[in-house]
Amino acid sequence: MNGPIRRLAIGVFAAMASLLVAVTWFQVVRADDLKTDPRNPRPALSEQAKERGVIVARDGTIVARSIQEEGSRAFERQYPLGPAMAHVVGYSSFLVGDTALEAAYSSELRSKRDLTISDLISAILGRDLRPQNLEITIDPTLQGAALEALGDNRGAIVALDPATGAVLVSVSTPSFDPASLLGSDAAGQWERLLTDPASPLSDRATREIYAPGSTFKTIVTATGLDTGMVEPGSVYPDPIELGLPGSEATISNFGDRPCNDGDPVTLLEAFVRSCNTTFASLAMELGASEIGITADAIGFNQDIGYEWTVPQAVWKTAELSDDDAALAQSGIGERNVRATPLHMAMVAAAVANNGVAARPYLVERVFDADGETLSSAEVSEIGRAMAPETASVLAQMMERVVTEGTGRRAAVPGVRVAGKTGTATGSGGFSNPWFIGFAPVDNPTIALAVFIEGSSMSGESATGGTTATPIASTLIETWMARGN
Amino acid sequence: MTRSTEGLIVATASALAAFGVTLVNFARGDGVDVQTGLTFLVFLIAFGGLYLAIRTWGHKATPLLLAPVAALTSIGFFEVYRLSTVRGGLQRWWLLIAAALAVGALALLSRHGTSVLRRYRNLILLVSVALLLLPNLPMDWGFPMRGLQLNGSRLWVLIDVGFTEMQFQPAELAKLGLVTYVASYLADHQRALREAHRRVGPFTFSEPRQLIPLLVVWSGSVLILVWQRDLGASLLLFAGFVLLLYAATGASGYLVAGGLLAVVAGITSYLAFDHVQRRVIAWLSPFEHYQDEGFQIAQGLFALGSGSLSGAGPGLGRPDLIPNASTDFMFAAVGEELGFAGSVAVLALFALVIAVGLGISFRSRDTFRKLLAAGLTLVFAVQVFLIVGGVLRLVPLTGITLPFMSYGGSALVGNMLLLALLVRISHEEAS
Repeated sequence: MNGPIRRLAIGVFAAMASLLVAVTWFQVVRADDLKTDPRNPRPALSEQAKERGVIVARDGTIVARSIQEEGSRAFERQYPLGPAMAHVVGYSSFLVGDTALEAAYSSELRSKRDLTISDLISAILGRDLRPQNLEITIDPTLQGAALEALGDNRGAIVALDPATGAVLVSVSTPSFDPASLLGSDAAGQWERLLTDPASPLSDRATREIYAPGSTFKTIVTATGLDTGMVEPGSVYPDPIELGLPGSEATISNFGDRPCNDGDPVTLLEAFVRSCNTTFASLAMELGASEIGITADAIGFNQDIGYEWTVPQAVWKTAELSDDDAALAQSGIGERNVRATPLHMAMVAAAVANNGVAARPYLVERVFDADGETLSSAEVSEIGRAMAPETASVLAQMMERVVTEGTGRRAAVPGVRVAGKTGTATGSGGFSNPWFIGFAPVDNPTIALAVFIEGSSMSGESATGGTTATPIASTLIETWMARGN
Repeated sequence: MTRSTEGLIVATASALAAFGVTLVNFARGDGVDVQTGLTFLVFLIAFGGLYLAIRTWGHKATPLLLAPVAALTSIGFFEVYRLSTVRGGLQRWWLLIAAALAVGALALLSRHGTSVLRRYRNLILLVSVALLLLPNLPMDWGFPMRGLQLNGSRLWVLIDVGFTEMQFQPAELAKLGLVTYVASYLADHQRALREAHRRVGPFTFSEPRQLIPLLVVWSGSVLILVWQRDLGASLLLFAGFVLLLYAATGASGYLVAGGLLAVVAGITSYLAFDHVQRRVIAWLSPFEHYQDEGFQIAQGLFALGSGSLSGAGPGLGRPDLIPNASTDFMFAAVGEELGFAGSVAVLALFALVIAVGLGISFRSRDTFRKLLAAGLTLVFAVQVFLIVGGVLRLVPLTGITLPFMSYGGSALVGNMLLLALLVRISHEEAS
């Protein structure tokens, strides 16, 4: 009987050997393929479960943190301010990836611990494996007020410290709760947000470009003043409409009315009333390249080096040089001129900052787990957009817009506010109201851009002077009331 | 190896279980707690008790059985604990019960020896068949023992012991009884089976008259299991019978006939049962059916691959992502957290148990003991191969447990009794 048992033993050990071969195949030969297979949730889950650094606002408010789950080594990411910070902080989700600061500072925010022997080696070498933390420039109170002020509108608000470029507010509506993309229902929430026609995931403040409309007249005016070709008192005719050379198209003022009852109008009056015919003429007078020089000095047609890649603001000098009709339309911020609300806030900030455009930034400093600063933001400028005298004259003109012109509703009692309204042509026949401005005029501490997308109202009520200005007023009032 | 070395290894294995539990606690962010001490204590009582029982009633037995079993049990235990603290706690109770029953079995066998099993084989058969049929008790009657259907299979008995309900899978015990019966029958009819034979082509078979009782028992019990949809156990018993028949007669025709029958039965059940078709799809193309049929096998392979050479560490992998990790996919869970090193160690320990079991059979002079040791070891080996091979895609997955390692009380009781029988046979043959 031992014969058959011996043969069975050989068979059994051949079978055991086949198990050994198979386990070698899966755990040695194919291990890396299996480990990195996109369907294997382990790498993403372990990344998700790792601690990430804290993100605090300038006033110490926590806007993102990792909390250790009960009875587990896994961490859960929390965003206490929810929708208010969604487009600034972003989210870090194993299912849908990272965005905004969570993506831009991913390597700093990540924990370098991987729970293997290499941790021990790093500990011996004295490397700090703990996640690093961010302090950001956002003012949470103002940010919350901005979200509230936009209400049910689709739009964006950006506010900057004009001197440094520190971003005080960056809000895009509609927003979403980033925490909803971390939970068990992340896939469903993601699908819902993606298919929402109001596209809550897109950051209208920094990642979308729009025609700036009449707010672009600030750049045209700055160019005119800078070159010495015009001054606030320069006089222009006031036609009902302006025929464009080599084109059937015409430019008219708001409501197809003359700007000054048909009487000649000064540049200042035209600016305060936002006369399109005047600035179309002025643009043609100045030429595409002169305007382009000013625009480029505020960062048009280039990467401005923000915290993440933002679309370039557009002024097409070459294209406009031999097309006066297009130049005239571009001079009033239409046609192919495009900018993000962030960029238009930079325009207002440049006027406020004596003509120098500061590079905008969000992260004030990176600090380690002991609170030690590892790196701080360096204030840098993009360029000098206009001479200091030009900036000062333009600031006075912009103040007149708020005291007696189209921006009257942006006024704040007791505060000298300067600004410029705009009503750009949006998609589908809707108009996009704008307001850019700064305050206080004598010593500006805030510059901002308010943008509303596709106002469903029409006529007077759909202009920047009606819908965007009250929001600006509210925010400036909130800002100044807090002693800034 | 001496008895004292065996004792040392058993104590070390207890410490290993406690150490594993501690590592899992650390991985969860907790510290050393009562679980560590409790685990060490329970393992020391269970395996210490077994060790002392072997010293008392089986001191001539090989010391090479208890040691690898203790190691396998401790690795399996902290992995079960890692997957579910509650199951870990239950498994500790089951370990105490299983060890107590194995000690009891050694004590009982010490008076009359294993020959008593041969004498009462018909009683054993009766009890085994009754056990097999227990899950078919009504599920809703008032009696405190009821049938229970889980995942479409009718394999469980629910015992209401007043303060709590216990689930039991009687096939795990019936398996031992049926192997004992077949070994005993073959031992009694060995001569007749070997000498009176008929030729079919190149193969010889025994006189059908001699085989009929065996075939009835065999087909009857396999059919009961098929009826209960216990794919794994029916395949296990089927293979056990065929291999034992071959061991007893040396007629390779049984292997060929058994193989053919398995193929026919496999094809038939593939055509007849949805759940068999799903298993085959999952086996052949798990990644193409990742969302449904193949999910479990694919997750098992991801676990093994992620474990790679050295593993994630106890508590630091994600074997909880594999459905049924603590039962059917215990091997993948161990492979993920202990890596290739752990997988090889586990396979080596199983190979050692199998080698020692076959060695006991090989050296046995008594035919019954020889066949019983061979039968028990072969069923054990087939079980290891079917479940590990199922996880590793060598064979379609059949839901059976990984001996001594998977969560489950009945399986642990059955395997501890199997260990006790092998120890006893080894002792008797050395006496």
